Amino acid sequence: MIDKAIPVPIGRVVATELKPSTPHQFHFWTPTDTSIGIGAIVKVGGSGTGEEGRVVYGVVTEGFAYSDLATPLHDVVGAEGDPARVEPPTARQQIRYWTAAVLRQTPEEPLQPVPLGQVYVAEDADVAQALRMDTYLYSATPTAIPVGLYTSAGRDAPVYLDADFLLGPEAAHLNLSGVSGLATKTSAVEFLLASIFAHFPAHKGRVAAVCFNVKGPDLCFLDQPADLSDEDRRRYERLGVPSTPFQRVQLYAPLKADGVNLNTLRTHPDLVDDVEPLTWGLQEVVDYAEVLLNRDDIDAKADAFIDFLRDRVLGRTFDDGFGTTHRVQTFADLDRLFRSIFDGLEVISGGRSDTWRTHHIATMRKVRNRLLNISTRCKGLVTDDGPSSDLPWQKFQDRTVYVIDIANVDPLGQDLVFARVVSKLREQLERRELGVDAVVVFVDELNKYAPGDGPDTYVKKMLLDISERGRYLGLVLFGAEQFRSQVHRRVVGNAGTQIFGRMDMDELATPGYQVLTPATKSKLATLPIGELMVRHPHFTQPIFIRFPKPPVLRGRDGVERFPPAADVPFDDAVVRQLVRLDRRVRPNQVKDLIADREQDDVRRALATVRRTRPDDVLAYFRKVLGVRVDVEASRPREHQAVPPLNPISDEPY
Amino acid sequence: MTWWHALIDAGAVPAAYTPPPSGGRTRDDVEAGERADLVEGNELQTHPIPPNSQPLIPNPVSFLNGLQRWSVVAYDGVAQIVNAYVAAAVCRRDDRGVLHATFERSRAFAVAPLDRLSPTLRAVLQQAVPDIEPVDGELVGQPARYLEQVESTVRRARAHVERELAEAATAALGPDEWLVLDGLLSRSPAVARHPRALGVIKSHGAQFLDGRGLERALTLPAGYRTSVFAVRGGHTRTEVYSWYLRLWPWAGNDLQYGLLRVEARADRETITRAPALSRWLLAERAPLATPATRWDRLLYPLHHVEEYLKARAPRSPAARSRLPVA
Repeated sequence: MIDKAIPVPIGRVVATELKPSTPHQFHFWTPTDTSIGIGAIVKVGGSGTGEEGRVVYGVVTEGFAYSDLATPLHDVVGAEGDPARVEPPTARQQIRYWTAAVLRQTPEEPLQPVPLGQVYVAEDADVAQALRMDTYLYSATPTAIPVGLYTSAGRDAPVYLDADFLLGPEAAHLNLSGVSGLATKTSAVEFLLASIFAHFPAHKGRVAAVCFNVKGPDLCFLDQPADLSDEDRRRYERLGVPSTPFQRVQLYAPLKADGVNLNTLRTHPDLVDDVEPLTWGLQEVVDYAEVLLNRDDIDAKADAFIDFLRDRVLGRTFDDGFGTTHRVQTFADLDRLFRSIFDGLEVISGGRSDTWRTHHIATMRKVRNRLLNISTRCKGLVTDDGPSSDLPWQKFQDRTVYVIDIANVDPLGQDLVFARVVSKLREQLERRELGVDAVVVFVDELNKYAPGDGPDTYVKKMLLDISERGRYLGLVLFGAEQFRSQVHRRVVGNAGTQIFGRMDMDELATPGYQVLTPATKSKLATLPIGELMVRHPHFTQPIFIRFPKPPVLRGRDGVERFPPAADVPFDDAVVRQLVRLDRRVRPNQVKDLIADREQDDVRRALATVRRTRPDDVLAYFRKVLGVRVDVEASRPREHQAVPPLNPISDEPY
Repeated sequence: MTWWHALIDAGAVPAAYTPPPSGGRTRDDVEAGERADLVEGNELQTHPIPPNSQPLIPNPVSFLNGLQRWSVVAYDGVAQIVNAYVAAAVCRRDDRGVLHATFERSRAFAVAPLDRLSPTLRAVLQQAVPDIEPVDGELVGQPARYLEQVESTVRRARAHVERELAEAATAALGPDEWLVLDGLLSRSPAVARHPRALGVIKSHGAQFLDGRGLERALTLPAGYRTSVFAVRGGHTRTEVYSWYLRLWPWAGNDLQYGLLRVEARADRETITRAPALSRWLLAERAPLATPATRWDRLLYPLHHVEEYLKARAPRSPAARSRLPVA
């Protein structure tokens, strides 16, 4: 039986004139049947070298194997040209020769070449030393966040990130790269969020996460438990992270075009009640009108007109100068204003004037098109009129995940949601009124939202802003993408922590990966599911880790276990939403109440109820819905949705 | 500080002469003119080794080889003082074909003509070196012949170490284990009589055959062996059975290319086993013992043992001259 207290060397450092040891690199050999490989952390003791006390930690970055064969031709001759010939009775002398990059030397000064000495496999304490985790793992106020297990040579040791460098203020942000499906980027983030929630230091305050679900059902089931293997549970135990799903998850999804059914894949009857509708009105949209304008649209004149609308028109009583007074609170109100202005210019001034309040008619038409288009393209997210349903601003809760499902929303709407949510987060974090001290924002598909080339969109600028200023505010970006080389370099460059899953070889051939050895690249290109390479400010070299399967139901599994329900008719959808707010509500009562009522009126009333959340839901709903008005007698609505003025046009705007 | 530095400090002149590699000794130092008696058939014949028959390779099997190194490290007048090192090792091959050292013996000593040294340097030498091999001082005045005498002394020391180790190794052999030695089996009677010991000789300075028999032996085709004959070899004059075996075709090279002489116990069983043993040794052609110059007749395991000994040997003690060697 091997006495584990006495470490057994697995190799010896060798240095030659051609391949000497340096302060940052050394070479060693091991038996051919060694258990170490690329990414293994090793320790070099100074015993026997006259440098007792000096300990060097390194990570294996390259491996070589060769025999004493002088030339391949000798093997051909030995086998007499027949590769099928029986194996020679003696195995050629061969070597496993490794190159390791120095992680740390103790003492750190004077910095010297690595001494010749025996090489040992790193134990838990060695891993902590090698990765300089001791400074934040064993301090009086630890800030260690488990990110996974370093596994090598049959051992596993927890690897921790420093919360000060992951979530600010020293450094912040995390970037994940890897090919789709195999890099497990989403799983890694889910696990890391669980780890952050379990280990975020109390002295750093409260933390929450906002996750944008941009594809399929990826993040729709964060509150549902996963089927974990015993090995996964052991890993959770080793890392000190509970293997349970998130305790507090709030999922927001816009409505579909019908205004009552949710636009998400989490519509199974057992779960749909937990989904909050996300709907915005004019006020919410116009603040981020820049999002709706493409680069060709952006000019001082359009900006000035939008500012004019925002400051002088919205929510105020406003005289258009043509004899009509407006109070613009909805898209419908805004459209009425525009029509009034255009009619006024056409009729009253006889078409001789093309400016109104110093704004050119073409500028106004452009802004009108962009603003009103959104209510068409993102119907369900943007309500043509009526109140909004929004995230719980100023009431964010500690250790809560807020998932915003915009997977099925028009790209323009996705941009709008992202811009507004992040802007509000930043604004409220700046004022310290969000309810938490730090927010992790998870954005997948950075290739799409912050590409390295292409136009400077509002979303890209916003991501750059978070990357560069977020750490001071507690606004932390966890971004993921397939091709890191194609994401804006300031976005990835500002990520203090970088994680790589399985990578595409073409991607690895780009200049950003030149610092990696061919062996490390090869390992990255073949990483199995659940293994990652981590770079962190405290680690002087990339480290390979393994993380357990996330404790939450994967999107695909969730959809199988909780198949999405088909859209229900309008009245049933209204009933469902009201029953969700108050179990005492009887469906028939609601159906009687909304029979023969305008759907927009019902939607408006429903939104008001959702926002108010009264004690007696049915009574309040009845009240805000108002008395029954004969359909024939009611004022005909001007439109169901606001169309653009000239939807099919060569007009550049 | 090494012992020759002490000599130099005491007035000896530093030296740095190492004999060229070709200055090594020949292995089959058998007296010339030794006659061989045929023990297999009436006339020395050539026998093909069936190429497709599966060789019966013993497992485990051990291999013994030795090493010698010497260099002139100091002068007292013209008297050359030599630092010498001899070693031998046995490596056992496991069932994966990997060789592991099981026995090892070495000796580091000085070779000096004590009677021709100055009293001061002799005293220093005797005080600094625990192991001195004295040589006759008569040849001191003829440096070249003196070095031949040194070479012979070192070779004997090596043979002695090898013999001791071979005896120890054969005594420790397992019931089915074989020992293959690089060189004469007949150096030690105990080893020569062991039923599972083989000597493999690569140099053929001494000829045991003549006439048509010699011609047949020297022109053996690859994959053939000669009939078995009896020789009395070594200083002990122990009789062993022997035969020639050609590993590689010699045409285009020289007569000794790929030619081995095998020694085994002088016993009828050896004659019976000769085909199987030859087949085994033929199978040992691979892997090639490159980059050794005599890879055509050096079995890889024996080459391995030699490399092992080289790696273990102390570095050449002589301080290298800074001037280029002519």
